[in-house]
Amino acid sequence: MKRSWASLEEFEQFLDNGGIVEPVDDMPREYRQAVFDFIEMHANSELMGGLTERDWIPKAPGLRHKMSVIAKTQDEIGHAHLLYMVAADLKIKTREEMMQDLFAGKSKFHNVFHYRAKTWGDQVAIAFLVDAAALVSQQAVFKNCSYGPYKRILRRIIAEEGFHLRFGEESVLRIAEGTEVQRSMFQESINDWWWPALQLFGPDSKPNDLLLRWHIKSERNEILRDRWIQKFVPLLQGYGFTIPDSGLRRNEEKDRWEIGPIDWEPLKQTMVMGGPDSARRISEASDSWDKTGWVREALEKVSV
Amino acid sequence: MRIYEVFLKADGKEEFRHAGSIEAPTDELALVLARENYARRAEGTHMWVVDRENICVSEDGFIDANLNKPHRHNDGERVAKWRKSQRNKKSDD
Repeated sequence: MKRSWASLEEFEQFLDNGGIVEPVDDMPREYRQAVFDFIEMHANSELMGGLTERDWIPKAPGLRHKMSVIAKTQDEIGHAHLLYMVAADLKIKTREEMMQDLFAGKSKFHNVFHYRAKTWGDQVAIAFLVDAAALVSQQAVFKNCSYGPYKRILRRIIAEEGFHLRFGEESVLRIAEGTEVQRSMFQESINDWWWPALQLFGPDSKPNDLLLRWHIKSERNEILRDRWIQKFVPLLQGYGFTIPDSGLRRNEEKDRWEIGPIDWEPLKQTMVMGGPDSARRISEASDSWDKTGWVREALEKVSV
Repeated sequence: MRIYEVFLKADGKEEFRHAGSIEAPTDELALVLARENYARRAEGTHMWVVDRENICVSEDGFIDANLNKPHRHNDGERVAKWRKSQRNKKSDD
């Protein structure tokens, strides 16, 4: 059923009453664009994350980890695939155009994929801290998302991210039980990745945040960020690692962890493709697209 | 390339459910790609893929809510009333 709304106010009332928008609906232009931008960024991030994961297949320590990394790579690329399909159905860009914009540095992806993973410790820190941050955000979107196809595909993605999180936790445990060299390698990774992972949630949500108003997101950035902090500070400390935040303190009265001031400059840099590894990442992704061109060509040839 | 809608069903359970969509050049490859994208962890045992172009979609308003036909939703009120009166009669005796 194709629905339409006489005004933006009427549409917002529909959303406030828990209404779910479908692709055939005559949704307001601004909403269509906002949903599209959000899903495109998610899709790009899955693709960039999958490509990083792929880099670790030959280098993973041991067959068991290697198999897990292969499965994870397939999941992340798969998520990108599903999300690009959902995004394309909004008829703003084709999948091909989304790829071209990503390789031209014209569309965004998550800040964490603008840094280089140098060691296996980094890769574990990503699996543990970053995947958890992404999962916290996705769960909050899924809970109340007003755009039907995105909400439905998130159910599948979240289920699979759960496996990744368990893999991350297991890898951390193995390193924590390892040698001093392994432990100090991981401590360095925490030092490098703590802040980017924390910044993934973004600055505090503005009062007029359209994503919240239109029920695309259901919780404020600062709430999600704090939930992640309360979980991961004690977890990492429990394994005997330290948090690279001199301002971090325990508020016993409130029974909460409080962190020092956040420097948002690095996040801003990643949003304009100026992160420490942005250029290399984008060109690697573009190369990978070119190298796999023969698969797309072959598919086109059998097309009926 | 064509867009296919993917449906999955777990053995012995419920009905086929829409899982999402996939782009593929042929029916055969659509099945392969749908399996790789939607059924990596036993999400179903039966799968349909349907070329989106082949789905017949009803026009707006074709399905009537039929709110003017309450007889299609017998609420059982008449019978309930009668039963209640019978119960009351019994307790009066």
